[in-house]
Amino acid sequence: MSDRMGPLDHAAVDELGAALALEALERDELNAVTEHLESCPEPHAELRSLLGAGDVLAASLEPVPPSTGLRGRLMRTVSTTAQEHVTAATAAAPTDEPAVEPRRGRLFDWFSPNLARGLAVAAVVVAIAFGIWNVSLQGQISARDQALRAVAQAIASGQTAFRVNGAGGAGYLVADENGTATFVGANLARLNANQIYELWLIGSDNKPVAVGTFTPSTDAVAVVPLERGISGFAVFAVTAESHRVDAPTSQPVMTAKLGS
Amino acid sequence: MTEPTPHDDALAQRIRFGDREALGVLYDRYASLALAAAIRVVADREVAEDLVHDAFVAVWRKIDKFDPERGSLRSWLLTVVRNRAIDRVRGLRQTIEVGEADAQSLLRSGPNPTWEAAVERLSVADLRDAIEALPAEQRQAVELAYFGGRTYREIATITGVPQGTANGRLRLALGKLRDALASSTAAPLGAPEPLPVRETDR
Repeated sequence: MSDRMGPLDHAAVDELGAALALEALERDELNAVTEHLESCPEPHAELRSLLGAGDVLAASLEPVPPSTGLRGRLMRTVSTTAQEHVTAATAAAPTDEPAVEPRRGRLFDWFSPNLARGLAVAAVVVAIAFGIWNVSLQGQISARDQALRAVAQAIASGQTAFRVNGAGGAGYLVADENGTATFVGANLARLNANQIYELWLIGSDNKPVAVGTFTPSTDAVAVVPLERGISGFAVFAVTAESHRVDAPTSQPVMTAKLGS
Repeated sequence: MTEPTPHDDALAQRIRFGDREALGVLYDRYASLALAAAIRVVADREVAEDLVHDAFVAVWRKIDKFDPERGSLRSWLLTVVRNRAIDRVRGLRQTIEVGEADAQSLLRSGPNPTWEAAVERLSVADLRDAIEALPAEQRQAVELAYFGGRTYREIATITGVPQGTANGRLRLALGKLRDALASSTAAPLGAPEPLPVRETDR
């Protein structure tokens, strides 16, 4: 059967409303009905009152608990499954080179929170030692050392660290008891010359709040204090933008869930 | 900082930001319902569990296509499950694209208050009673359409009636069901806001 049929009038469309709601139209009819509705100034209230009826049919079934292993299987699958919008954002980024292609040998890849806590004191000592070495030899602390020191000092002093990761890099968001927070990122994807990273906090209202911008250092590290505290927010995110914006214009390249 | 029982829209936002734990919450909330729907269509628990797994993976991968302005996350998930199950039974497309699968969602401008209220406020038994109160031939037509994936033309052939009769049974059934549920929930008879123009990228 052809996927095309002639235009339908209002009455004919209304006649097919229930079949539309139950997805019981042939393809040609579905196309004709949707085309009509997309451009029709009439409200078609009766038809639209039927859309969504399938929800009731599904909800009328007695729930069946899944096997105990299904949840774990699902979580294992998604742990290795890329989300399309993230992949698309990566692919669509302006390129001399991929804008959010992570670098190899990530600084924080091994850096689980538990491990971090165990190594925190040693890390501080090492970082400070290297810091002094750098200061004496180079007159400045490298950004990478600065990042390590920030994380280690935060954890050693009892602050909370939230793992941040994604296609754009990895790191931690460290926060004190007042919610004052600093993003420490490493292995950050290089951006094009006209791009910056922008930081966001998102609460239960789903509205991202801009809390800072940065460009990675030459060794792909950043230490960025957030412009406001994280209390009351559920998600931290990083997007790549052409300039500071009030609302994200692209999908996040790194995220962290805040809270225990 | 995390809501004890986050709303579905908040879960969708978290999933969009790559939060796998949020997908786990969604699974805990709706997997039993999704599995019931899948089993009802394919009549095989093992196959149904595979379909539910694949549907949640599809939600994870394609969460960017979910638009809360057009319907609930639960409805979207169940549509994915149902369509995959029907395709499995009927041997059609093996991998259906989310978004393409839910043509009517493209026409919605928001969750329909009647059906949404019924699902949220009534028990499974109440919903089942409302469906079973339909005349047998109307209930059969509805179930062949929704759980069997049959078009009204196919329903006409299966039940031996003219196509207009089969289509009329669907209309009568949903009209009665809507009115019965609206009176049960005291929800407004549901016509959402005017239809938007379909987005070309969906």
